Amino acid sequence: MWRRTAPRYSLPTRGAAMLSAMEALDASAAEAPEALAARRIAAAAPGAARDAEAELYRLLAPRARRYGMRHLRDRDAAADLMQHVMALTIEQLRSGALREPERVASFVLGACRMTVADQRRTERRRIDLLERYAGDVPMADIHVAPRLDHHRVADCLDRLPERERSILVMTFYDDAPADRIAGQLGLSAGNVRVIRHRGLDKLRRCVDGGARAGS
Amino acid sequence: MSTTAAAGHVPVETLLAWWLHETDAAETDTVDEHLLRCDACGGTLDAIVRLGDGVRAAFRAGLVGAIAGGEFIARLAAQGVRVREYRLPLNGGVDCTVAPDDELLVSRLQVPLAGVERLDAILEFSFEPGVRHRLEDVPFDAAAGEVVYLPRTAEVKAAPANTHTVTLVATSGAIARELGTYTFRHRPWAGD
Repeated sequence: MWRRTAPRYSLPTRGAAMLSAMEALDASAAEAPEALAARRIAAAAPGAARDAEAELYRLLAPRARRYGMRHLRDRDAAADLMQHVMALTIEQLRSGALREPERVASFVLGACRMTVADQRRTERRRIDLLERYAGDVPMADIHVAPRLDHHRVADCLDRLPERERSILVMTFYDDAPADRIAGQLGLSAGNVRVIRHRGLDKLRRCVDGGARAGS
Repeated sequence: MSTTAAAGHVPVETLLAWWLHETDAAETDTVDEHLLRCDACGGTLDAIVRLGDGVRAAFRAGLVGAIAGGEFIARLAAQGVRVREYRLPLNGGVDCTVAPDDELLVSRLQVPLAGVERLDAILEFSFEPGVRHRLEDVPFDAAAGEVVYLPRTAEVKAAPANTHTVTLVATSGAIARELGTYTFRHRPWAGD
């Protein structure tokens, strides 16, 4: 029986991989493009470094939006969070309140966390902050990839084994974690993750292959 | 898609676990921080989320069949999805249809599953005499005593009147044992 057998392969250990990833990024943070743009904003007269502000927005706004999507699970709320955090960040750089501009990514993360926490306490405060800061800050267009052709996705799903297709549907329809699916299909959460990982890999390769063939 | 933490990047499965709220608080913080600095991982996450949106859209459009669990169906119904459900006893049959505004068709096939190691489902349609479609190694919860089968709703809506059967077969090595056969006498929607 599936749930009695060991996974056919195991997933990499998360902790060590994450530590390695963080160390690599910390070493280069001061020279990252966002740090350079932040320094230019901080060094200029307030509002004078519009190009750098637009560049900073282009670099960091999508990242703030991802944070919002994960923690708020709502596109509009994530877009509001992105707007508010970027406005606040640029305001702080202009005024000199952000004393270490090269740490701008950390500031954005902190602002995201605080805003989400605030938002959970009071919706009103978030709107006030948005109205207070958003007016005088440049906003660059950020690229949001178009939706996939769901007929293509359906065709690729159809090629998967039953277990992989069922688990991907149950996972993504409702953003369901493995333990919620496991009990319903007589599997362990670990089995669900392994099947999910394998199915996702095949699905992505199929969809990407179709996109390339169609372009 | 990379599956390892190559070149200081977060593994795909960790990004997905983070997205699905499976990570603990410390790991969530670490991924949060990484994504605020790494566009490569952000792009990978965007691709996963986009793929998930595509899966959701395909399923909502009735283009994808699956085997699911009872709780999944209950959650969809609670979210307002229009579900048409048929519950068939062992070796049972049913007169069935699908309305234009039905979003999901569900067949709950009652079957004793204790001791079953692997389960296949064989589908036969009266408009394809002699053709058997075999769904291999379908997932099931033995304790539930049923298989929750979701056909492609869009396909059923377009189908002519037909009779089709689903036969559940338990397999163990080279040995196959029929557990039950279920008969669906489908008619196109004729209105209320």
